[in-house]
Amino acid sequence: MKLSRLFWLFLILFLGWLFYWGMHRNPGELKSVLVGRPAPDFTLPPLPPFREAYGETFRLADYLGKTPIVLNFWASWCYPACYEEAPILEAAWERHKGEVLFLGINTQDKEEKALEFVARFGLTFPNLYDPRGKVGIDYGMYGVPETFFIDRQGIVRYRHAGAIDAGTLEKRIREVLR
Amino acid sequence: MKRLWPFLLLLSLGLAFAQTPTGQPPPDLDPEVFKIANQLRCPVCQGESAGESNAGVSQEMRRQIAEMLKEGKSEEAIKRYFVERYGEWILYAPPKRGINWLLWAAPALGLLLIGFGLWRYLAEAKRREAELGLSPEELKALEAELEEE
Repeated sequence: MKLSRLFWLFLILFLGWLFYWGMHRNPGELKSVLVGRPAPDFTLPPLPPFREAYGETFRLADYLGKTPIVLNFWASWCYPACYEEAPILEAAWERHKGEVLFLGINTQDKEEKALEFVARFGLTFPNLYDPRGKVGIDYGMYGVPETFFIDRQGIVRYRHAGAIDAGTLEKRIREVLR
Repeated sequence: MKRLWPFLLLLSLGLAFAQTPTGQPPPDLDPEVFKIANQLRCPVCQGESAGESNAGVSQEMRRQIAEMLKEGKSEEAIKRYFVERYGEWILYAPPKRGINWLLWAAPALGLLLIGFGLWRYLAEAKRREAELGLSPEELKALEAELEEE
């Protein structure tokens, strides 16, 4: 009799804990299956201001395995997260230009809105245009903004979901630079 | 018959207002596309499938499914394509293997536990009743007395 009481007590405690744990989980926090795997290749046209420097089409494979890459997915309609991180990304790009390639992918957006965004934050790192959001699906993206860190060997090392802050960005850049 | 009228009236009203489910976007694509999309999650939504959602990414998923079907890919291959990118999370029905079995077994286990608890409780109640040593007639009389109070 005593033993069965103990059993029910533990069962109720366990279910209570399970419920508590489930309620406190962040549904946006999901591991990317890409981490540890080679970054998927893609070819996209750069937005007009970046065509002079990067050509009419940009192929990721030309850079994969040669330089670490910070791949950032954004959209002009993604307010405020994308607006918060844009100046942080630009500042970090200014600092790391020679050693890391920053790549912006404008996702499911209108070109003129994307151009307004680029001008507003004075973005100088290459930004590509993906109105359908095809590349986002290839990277298992949940929603903008999302940032992928690809190391020198072309392997995805980390995925950050949501607006990135300067500290995290710097830390992850150091990791892919190693 | 008189009683039936309000019911019939309600029924006809219901039929008059009946519509196709509004939760679905216009079927701009093959039903086969939606059959597959309905089994996949919309990555940016909560509790909506890629077949129901009108989010940009769901529209793109449906477009890709349509393209892959046109290329002759099977339903399994298409689902695998999305699992490779998003993990098994993207599937509404997780495959029945490994720890996932627990998920599928959980409802049955829960029912069993409840059944077991109920059985124990009833057995205990019966035992106590028997312990009192009262005949059914005596019990009835006592219950009636309680009700009167």
